[in-house]
Amino acid sequence: MKYAYYPGCSLEGSGAEYAHASEAVLEALGVELEEIDDWVCCGATAAHATSHLLSLALPAISCAAAEKQSLDIMTCCAACHNRLKQTNQQIKDDPKLRAQISEIIEEDCQGSASVLHITDVLARAVGLDAIKERVRMPLKGLKVACYYGCLMSRMPEMLLSDKSEYPMLLDNLMKAVGAEPLDWPFKTECCGAALTLARQKTVIRLCADILQMAKQNGADVFAVACPLCQANLDMYQAEAEKLLGERFSIPVMYFVQLMGLAMDLDPKRICLDKLIVDHLPVLAQKGFIDAAVFL
Amino acid sequence: MRTDLTDKALHSEFRRKVEALSGQNLGNCYQCGKCSGGCPVQPDVTVSPNRLMRMVQLGMEEEALSSDSLWHCTGCATCNGRCPMGIDIVRIKDTLRGLTKKVRYGRGSLEVWTFYESFLECVRNFGRLSEIGLMGGYNINSGWLWTNMRKAPWFIMRNKLGVSPHTIKRLDRLQRVFDRIEEIEGK
Repeated sequence: MKYAYYPGCSLEGSGAEYAHASEAVLEALGVELEEIDDWVCCGATAAHATSHLLSLALPAISCAAAEKQSLDIMTCCAACHNRLKQTNQQIKDDPKLRAQISEIIEEDCQGSASVLHITDVLARAVGLDAIKERVRMPLKGLKVACYYGCLMSRMPEMLLSDKSEYPMLLDNLMKAVGAEPLDWPFKTECCGAALTLARQKTVIRLCADILQMAKQNGADVFAVACPLCQANLDMYQAEAEKLLGERFSIPVMYFVQLMGLAMDLDPKRICLDKLIVDHLPVLAQKGFIDAAVFL
Repeated sequence: MRTDLTDKALHSEFRRKVEALSGQNLGNCYQCGKCSGGCPVQPDVTVSPNRLMRMVQLGMEEEALSSDSLWHCTGCATCNGRCPMGIDIVRIKDTLRGLTKKVRYGRGSLEVWTFYESFLECVRNFGRLSEIGLMGGYNINSGWLWTNMRKAPWFIMRNKLGVSPHTIKRLDRLQRVFDRIEEIEGK
């Protein structure tokens, strides 16, 4: 199994641990990655909110490069996945648009490669049984609030073919590594995403709601699959605590970090030390990490 | 607010323009309000998504383009997911945001525009986004110099900020792409 890998800008910066952990987990499960040659930023919200053509041209450059490698595209970031997949589909369906975009990017883009999210690759291509077999330390008794956010769950017919209001992909993966995914109502609420710099108050209010709901449902940790969800929930947790006047202290972890932990991968590669909200108390209390190592 | 319901209002130039640019039929919206019910920024805005749709239906150009909801929108697409008529509301909002560029309306749009512009400027110059470049660009251009500065030490301590921007090999091609799109869509 081999994919053209589109890391995306976040995964080279604030979401570096997502990249490292994903690469480690995929390697352990025998999935090969070949980075897309000279990929460019997908433009994310900034492009599609301001220019329709730009929002298609930027992802098309990377799609065209992947087509040359004749591999399907895999990406970890929910926003990159959303943009690449939508562009790819529109270019495939509309010959006029295909011609226009190909002319703009000076390269032929057919939309022939499929765009997959890492959850899709793990749950469907690798399969839950193969993951279960690879688990060395089941995360027994760890209550995980799987948080999908918006970009992973909207427009299901085009994206993950999972239910848009109550998706289960992450829950199934967490169950496969022995954890206990929660049945909770805010799986797909919005965290404020790209407004994180421009409208901080909004983002803090939205994150506070999500954190409070997770706490009320008894969550030990969050499992997320989007670098912006992780950054917002993790970075603004202190502000959210101030806003609502209660303690949360719920570590916000990438789902691949939890999988890596269960698969007993090298702790250096799953980069738990990069999280802001401390994960040690919860994981040590459940016995997944030897507390003495960190004293 | 007085509302014009004459035939002229219902077949306005503005509505036709939005429909053509977004590829959506605004006549499909029957004002059920599900979009507004699910909108996460509803408490922050005076014009909810369904009211915005109504404004476009009635050709209320100035009200629609100056509405604050355009600039509080997170682009989460809950409205799209819940619309029983399958209207791509995010696309309509993107279209309206694009139109404000030409008329320079846009109450409360400064920070969000600055963010988008700093973001795209960074992509244009390097091909990929560097978060330090984005934050620096945003803080300088918006005048909010201290935005998120308190968070910076955390990120630097955990080596989470890509300090040196990653440049791509075919940067000249990318810049031609930006130029061409500016030519087609207007600056």
